[in-house]
Amino acid sequence: MSSEEHLKQTDTEARFEFKKEQKSAFQAEKGLNEETIRVISEDKDEPEWMLQRRLRALKHFQNMPMPTGWPEAPDLSEVDVDAIVPYIRPDVDVRGGVDDWRDLPDEIKDTFDKLGIPEAEKNALSGVGAQYESEIVYQNMQEQWQEKGVVFCDMDKAVQEHEEIVKEYFMTKCVPPSDNKFAALHGAIWSGGSFVYVPEDVTVNMPIQAYFRMNSEGMGQFEHTLIIAEKGSEVHYIEGCSAPKYSAFNLHSGGVEVFVKEDAHVQYSTVQNWSKNTYNLNTKRAIVEKNGRMEWISGSMGSKATMLYPASILKGRGASDNHITIAFAGKGQNIDTGAKVYHNAPETKSTIESKSISKDGGRTNYRGLVHIADGAYNSSTAVECDALMFDNESTSDTMPYMEINESRVDVAHEATVGKIGDEDIFYLQSRGLDDDDAKQMIVSGFIEPITEELPIEYAVELNRLVELEMEGSLG
Amino acid sequence: MSVQIPPTLSAETVREISEDRNEPEWLLEARLDAFEALDDVALPDVIQTPGRRWTNLEALDFENLVDPLNQSDETERVSAEGATVLSFVDALDEHEDLIKEYFGSVVPADTNYLTALSAALFTTGTFIYVPEGVDAEDVKIRAEMNSQTLFSHTLVVTEESSSATILESIESGDDVDGDRYFSNIVEVVAGENSYVQFGSLQNLNEDTYHYTLKRGDTDTYSTINWIEGNIGSRLTRSDVETTLNGDGSETKIVGAFFGHDDQHLDVNARVWHQAEHTTADLVTRGVLDDEARSVYEGVQDVGVDAWNTSSYQRENTLMLSDESEADASPKLIIHNHDTEASHSATVGQVDAEEMFYMTSRAIDPQTARNMLVEGFFVPVLEEIEVDEFRNDLEELVQARLN
Repeated sequence: MSSEEHLKQTDTEARFEFKKEQKSAFQAEKGLNEETIRVISEDKDEPEWMLQRRLRALKHFQNMPMPTGWPEAPDLSEVDVDAIVPYIRPDVDVRGGVDDWRDLPDEIKDTFDKLGIPEAEKNALSGVGAQYESEIVYQNMQEQWQEKGVVFCDMDKAVQEHEEIVKEYFMTKCVPPSDNKFAALHGAIWSGGSFVYVPEDVTVNMPIQAYFRMNSEGMGQFEHTLIIAEKGSEVHYIEGCSAPKYSAFNLHSGGVEVFVKEDAHVQYSTVQNWSKNTYNLNTKRAIVEKNGRMEWISGSMGSKATMLYPASILKGRGASDNHITIAFAGKGQNIDTGAKVYHNAPETKSTIESKSISKDGGRTNYRGLVHIADGAYNSSTAVECDALMFDNESTSDTMPYMEINESRVDVAHEATVGKIGDEDIFYLQSRGLDDDDAKQMIVSGFIEPITEELPIEYAVELNRLVELEMEGSLG
Repeated sequence: MSVQIPPTLSAETVREISEDRNEPEWLLEARLDAFEALDDVALPDVIQTPGRRWTNLEALDFENLVDPLNQSDETERVSAEGATVLSFVDALDEHEDLIKEYFGSVVPADTNYLTALSAALFTTGTFIYVPEGVDAEDVKIRAEMNSQTLFSHTLVVTEESSSATILESIESGDDVDGDRYFSNIVEVVAGENSYVQFGSLQNLNEDTYHYTLKRGDTDTYSTINWIEGNIGSRLTRSDVETTLNGDGSETKIVGAFFGHDDQHLDVNARVWHQAEHTTADLVTRGVLDDEARSVYEGVQDVGVDAWNTSSYQRENTLMLSDESEADASPKLIIHNHDTEASHSATVGQVDAEEMFYMTSRAIDPQTARNMLVEGFFVPVLEEIEVDEFRNDLEELVQARLN
């Protein structure tokens, strides 16, 4: 299939909606207790220290309160961790992912074919990891990167093969399980995800991608991503995710830790398209050293409720951050997302650009925090939030928080909210477009600052998803 | 979570205050209800971010701050022709019906712990009534706080097509040993097509903890403009709020603050758009010197029935010292898409280029900085309609700079 044909086929709901019969090699009982965790850890043949970390995280989870009491926060009362299946190991022969799609069972291969992953790999990517339920089933990277010492592997495998590095970085300095209740849950029960290591001065010039697919009803996916970009290196990591819709809720609680060393540059892009019964509660954080640069690009289209605030801790002098987020909430969706930046060193810089669209009773909220510590002189931050509302059933909130402890700074925040412009629509209609096309074109223009940051395949994908949302034909 | 009632307070205290002032039975009942409510209501909401609480109201030691039976103030009131401007006690004689109708109608006593405390214990305050068609210009209330504790309750009622410009100034009079607490509740009920500007300038001494909630309610086509100046106090928590209940009604909330030493100024501006064709403009400008800390929350809440809303918010903070801290959270909560809303906030130092320009004109850096700070407040000063108020605020800013 050519990529053009492939794109033509993308405008069907079926593309994400198909369900596969559940076939698993191992499935944990519903619910969460010490026994579940021991069983999972044993099934993965993990070293003792990882089991201990999981058990410590479980204690935190049990002792921590739900994130309630936040102003206008999504309702999480339906999220009952004891009702989900936390771990499903897909029925494949090779643990840690095969490197040839043909080696996968037909129904899994077919899943990723339909999602267009192998096609994208050929055209635009340096490497691909694909997770089905709780584990990575496919993992491959072009040889040239392997030769340069780049590591891109399944997180479970990294625990075995890169134990020392993982032991040092895994949920220790960046996202400790004590950070929040769902980070603790994640720490207890994580499975799958990616480990990326880029050696000093290596620039990976095409993106690497991981795709996460939940197939089963009532399951939870808890993949962990750990990216270490050594001094002077550069990498662009893309994650995509989707699931078919079920009546019971699914839970996704990923953990992402990124270490951007001196002069390194990491771009982390997410195209989130979970089904509209999924609660998407992630913790994503980067620690950025001297002159390092972190970019978070995310498009949140799916899920029933999302609470996600990617964070950058600008630790070294001259470190910088760039957040670009777009949220699209349709009927029944509550997308509560934003950004957190801690300026902990002088001459650090952050820019946050947030775009949100709410339609058919959907609810978007930008919730963000910028903290400038005492001594972080000559730092600057610019936050811009724009919201577009389609109708009177929808809601759009903007809630930025700024904590400024240093006077030699430049802090600016701006936000606007408005309806789609009648004049703009009228203009386009007078040029022969119908109402729907006019609206779609305006929305495409509205989100362009984000799509232009993505490789063309993903920009097109994001635009298609937005168009599907506009037609109300998704989920 | 409710706060413990100080052991020095009882229903008996409340009765004593009410009886001393020969209040009608309904007011005593209202006070006792407020006292009862203390058990159930919490302190005003304070913003929390991971690991930080922006203002620590829990630390207020009410047992030592609240001395309800020794409240004392000296308040001078200047009326305008055709309007009524009386102390709350005197007004009960002449306008009991109006007070009964509107007291607590905009700020119910059980709004929070501090409003309940005020309703139970207040001894001073002003009642302003402007009849239909009357323009009451330059109404002045100059209050001096002479005791350790003072609770004040002010009620403004404007009838159809009337207007009022009001200046309230609050200072400390007699010296009192130890920490002090001043509570200032203001309710404004703006009748159809009426106009109210309520300006308040607070310059309490720096042993005083200060809480104020000023809230107005607009009828059709009416306007409520607030000007809130905070210069003094040890800690201020100021909430200035308008509910736009009438179609075509408007509000402006203009704030100015200038903190120095280790003052903590928590200033908030909130507007609820509840009707059609309403407009709000929130403008706050603040300067921080030394170790002063400011906290700002601005809320623009557009309700589901608020068609054709315009709502704007700007907040600018100037930091003169490295030891100071400015926290800000401008919030938009939009439930109706037929809205044009925006907000912006900035924090920074005196502009380097402007400084350079001034010094290149042979102005010494200190004078240049002072001129730029005075200039920074101009957008606020321009809003003030009572000349005396404008002059007072300018003088206080100059005094702080020198």
